[in-house]
Amino acid sequence: MKINKHYLEALAFIAVYLFTLYLWTLPFQDNNTPYGEFDAISHWELADFIAQRDKTFVSLPPFLDYSYSLNNRFKPHTLWYHPPFHTDMAISSAFAGDRMIPIYLTNAIFATAVFVSVYFVMRKLFGFLPAILSFFLLSASMRDILPYLWGQWPERFGYAFVPLIMYCFYKYWTTYSKESSKPIYLYIMSILLAVNLFIHPLVMFHSIVGVAFLGIGLFIKDRKLSLNFRHILISLLIFALLASIFPYQTGNVIVSFLKDSGSNSVKPSLSRLFEWTPENASPDKFAGSVPAAYFSFKQMHGSWTLPFLILGIIVLLIRREKRDIFLLMWLFSLYLILHRDLIGKPTFIHRSLSASAHIFVPLIVIGALSISSLLPLPKLYKNLLKYGAAALVVILTFNYNIPPAYSTLSQAYDSPFLRPNQAQVEVSEWLQQKLNETENVSIIGPFPDIMKKVWWMASYSHRTSAYFEGFLDWPQYEQNRNETIKYHLLNDYIVFDYTDIGLLQDRSFVDRWIKFEQENMKNHALIYNKNNIRVYKYGAS
Amino acid sequence: MELPDFKQTGFVLFAAALILAFFYFVLGFSGMMTVLGIMILFMLPTYLILNNFDLEQDEKIVFSFFIGIGIFPAIAYWLGMLISFRIAIFITFAILIATSFIIKKFKKK
Repeated sequence: MKINKHYLEALAFIAVYLFTLYLWTLPFQDNNTPYGEFDAISHWELADFIAQRDKTFVSLPPFLDYSYSLNNRFKPHTLWYHPPFHTDMAISSAFAGDRMIPIYLTNAIFATAVFVSVYFVMRKLFGFLPAILSFFLLSASMRDILPYLWGQWPERFGYAFVPLIMYCFYKYWTTYSKESSKPIYLYIMSILLAVNLFIHPLVMFHSIVGVAFLGIGLFIKDRKLSLNFRHILISLLIFALLASIFPYQTGNVIVSFLKDSGSNSVKPSLSRLFEWTPENASPDKFAGSVPAAYFSFKQMHGSWTLPFLILGIIVLLIRREKRDIFLLMWLFSLYLILHRDLIGKPTFIHRSLSASAHIFVPLIVIGALSISSLLPLPKLYKNLLKYGAAALVVILTFNYNIPPAYSTLSQAYDSPFLRPNQAQVEVSEWLQQKLNETENVSIIGPFPDIMKKVWWMASYSHRTSAYFEGFLDWPQYEQNRNETIKYHLLNDYIVFDYTDIGLLQDRSFVDRWIKFEQENMKNHALIYNKNNIRVYKYGAS
Repeated sequence: MELPDFKQTGFVLFAAALILAFFYFVLGFSGMMTVLGIMILFMLPTYLILNNFDLEQDEKIVFSFFIGIGIFPAIAYWLGMLISFRIAIFITFAILIATSFIIKKFKKK
């Protein structure tokens, strides 16, 4: 029986894709409570709020306005992100009827979408084998996994658009002639650029730089301009029209871009031109927030990839076919983005490093598969060597890249300190259902190690928790602790959560905590008492 | 709009069933429904629109996902300001499906 080659390719693609999503969903396969850093909380709550409230919004609800009122620099107190990313997740949540899995799974699908777009572009330009190998190696990319876990959700997805936007431009250019052309590619490019803006504006600038330099590269190669200015004008109009759908958010992008100009007070040295990692993105500048490993080529890509990467670049530089120019210009555009501090735009420059793997990996694979073509061998041996190199890439990936990726993802946010437990989720849901949106909730007593859980409880309940910081204990409240408590708690809802008491090292803290409840709450209404969590309504007494 | 032949339809359905079954076993019912939602809401209407243009099959599939996740929520978001978000999702789906047929009719003329 002869099986269609395209079906086999599709099945191989599906197998690698499902393997990737199996890996990337490990953090929430066994534990369906939310997790992540502060960024993740903001993304989750924006999506969850829409789905739960069954209404979208322009002005921020009180619990979001409390933390993010000035994030939109064009129109404060409104949504600072373009709405589509979070609305997508809200749609998933509403469609699947669940608050946690749909949002996190949609995020996992979005975060791995860049592997699909790299696969697609490589398949179209270089064939199936380089494409599927690139996809497989990317699935274990630590430079993607770490920011994904930290919560830089829209940025991860935004990178998926870079190769696609460049591909559309490439297709338009390479199919253009005065007699016939395919402007549809240019128009799709504009739509994708607009969606890229909606998802993550900073990455859209990367796409624009990529397209600009691809155009220059192809122009040098062809020595002619394969463009029609009417097509360009129409595509600009399409982009402008789509960008204007969300005026406050597009306005925020423009204002932020203009205000950030010249914010780089330290003049970078020109020696930086010969370095890949930017000066202000070195490990010592991020001690405590970004691990040093993130800045290490060896730990992010694996040392074994370096010779293949160099070989891949050399092969493309020598060959210089149009498809080679595509990859070289993509690499060059990332180099420019990583050196944007030289023109006074250093904001989030270290985060652009996370786009390295998307172009490094295709180059690594091309390097490995090109070895056979460099040797004067009969065709049969060349083929054997080529498939041998492919097998080597798979073995090395399994050996060196998959294990750290697997352990990082399977152990991510495993600690009971980091995720709300079932009782905390339950009380958060109760608060959401029983209290008004404008009412404040204070969660008393969390010791610093479980602060993250309290942020999640505030997020899960859609209620402000302005004083959850534990003013019982913190030195800055020492002077006027009683006044602070009295002033703040009036008309507030107070949550005493003892579910994590077993995790506490400092028992004296527990004693003070219980004493505070006994002394201060006896005259106030106890309205929730379940699973070692009590909620009081603090009224005037 | 050309319908794929029986063999292709069979393969597409098989692939979709395989993917949905995978997510059901790994993440349960809500995981499966999430993926089904992405296929039906984000990809299908945009695919039907792109199917009216001179693009290759794989391009239509890939672009339908990346355009769908931008256009679908943009419409649902603004409708959701006026009506229930869940109804807005349904109306958005209907608008985009109708658009694909209008484009098809317009292109035939």
